[in-house]
Amino acid sequence: MVNMSAAAPPLTPEDAARSRDRGRVHRARLGGRRWHLLWLLAGPGILAMLGENDGPSMVSYAATGATYGVGFFLPFIVVTFAMAAVCQELCMRVGAVTHRGYGQLVLERYGPVWGWFAAGDLLLTNLVTLIAEFVVIRIGLAYFGLGAPVAAAAGAGLVICTLSGGRYWRWERIVLGLAVFNGLFLVAAVMTHPHWASAGRALVTLTPFPGGSRTTLLLLVASTIGATVTPWMVFFQQSASADKGLTTADLRYGRLDTVIGAALAAVFGCGAFLVGAVLQARGGAGLLGLAGAGFPDALARVSGHAVATVFALGLVEAGVVAVLTISASTAYAVGECVGVAHSLNSPPRRAALFYGANITVALIAAGVILIPGAPLLAIALNANVLATVLLPVTLVFIIMLANDRQLMGRWVSSRATNWVAIVIVAFVALCGAAYGIDSFLQATHLISGA
Amino acid sequence: MTPEAEYPALEPGQFDADTAQPVPRAQLSRRARAGLWLLRIFAVIVSAMVVYTFVSQLHG
Repeated sequence: MVNMSAAAPPLTPEDAARSRDRGRVHRARLGGRRWHLLWLLAGPGILAMLGENDGPSMVSYAATGATYGVGFFLPFIVVTFAMAAVCQELCMRVGAVTHRGYGQLVLERYGPVWGWFAAGDLLLTNLVTLIAEFVVIRIGLAYFGLGAPVAAAAGAGLVICTLSGGRYWRWERIVLGLAVFNGLFLVAAVMTHPHWASAGRALVTLTPFPGGSRTTLLLLVASTIGATVTPWMVFFQQSASADKGLTTADLRYGRLDTVIGAALAAVFGCGAFLVGAVLQARGGAGLLGLAGAGFPDALARVSGHAVATVFALGLVEAGVVAVLTISASTAYAVGECVGVAHSLNSPPRRAALFYGANITVALIAAGVILIPGAPLLAIALNANVLATVLLPVTLVFIIMLANDRQLMGRWVSSRATNWVAIVIVAFVALCGAAYGIDSFLQATHLISGA
Repeated sequence: MTPEAEYPALEPGQFDADTAQPVPRAQLSRRARAGLWLLRIFAVIVSAMVVYTFVSQLHG
């Protein structure tokens, strides 16, 4: 703690750390070094997007490719990331203008009921998603003959190691360094020699449209949306933008960070889809029996060990980066709603609950994958669907916050942004409801699958 | 010394002490509150359906 006069509020270690980071930003801006400025200000957007290119998402993309082949779902991935970019820009802007996280703002602005509902949604979806992340790390490591205990220990150990520094900047750079390896999915796709002309045609025409079971189609649509826009991303990017110290002067670079993240994530997600599409001709539906290391093994039989190795490593990376970012978003939400220190710039002794929540949620998820016989792919796909169902509530609040003139001043959303955001919320709610209701009616035998 | 003088790279509202101050509560209209509750009920019902389906598929 920095010594202060009696009248002034106390300066905290978070202030000191953030000030150092902001000092570098000021110097880069004054020197007109735009690339350096982008390097300094990039992070929350790319991490949210590549963090969402997580294990379940990549399995979901690959499963969709294996089920339907190259067609409608390839451009659909791109469309969903465009949707994600719109939603995430709102979070970045609200975080930069208010310097507060999503959980804190919802709780303070709309009352504790809505704040705790939002935090509850996040805790539920994050826990399920984190379990799915560890499941996918396990699938990736199983290809190399490593078991669930190694996956659990590696994931949980990384969370603890990356948190030990007590600096947002260091944590962000470590996770960004790991997230670069999300590109392995693109490498794997190139190695499978996909039919680029078909991929290009599908991207332009959104065809062929998939047929087959309606429930499977709705599951994969909802799952693909849940693989690109989720509640944790909203919490994470707004809190990380505030924690990083973004201000209104940085909005242009914050937007660039978000768009770059969305573009990279879309390209890498399409890579996973194209890898899965290779399996379509070889009975892709058989993938649903992949509880264990089925996906990389199936790839090894069709495309060789090199492709399978790259894909398996990609799954490990996707799971690891998501474990780090999703557990961080959980910690931000808990810290903001309880009202205690909630910054990665805080020393652990000053923010015990924040770091405790971060590590505990990862440890719980790691523990679940040690349970033998868990339905791995079902957990991964349903984690995404649950995120899709709960997402509209999260998005409505971020739209409200971004339009709150008392909070945002002249940085409120434009009319065009609002219309796009409202269409996205309606679309997400419709897709989530369609799958939820259709699958429920089938499960209760009120209708038959078609 | 004021916080701004100590750390001139930070904006006035960016200090921990500032962000710890709660923002004022928004006054939502009755319609807005009703809309939010409807959306919340929708999310809970559909979530329950998804969870039920997932569990029944596990047992099926």
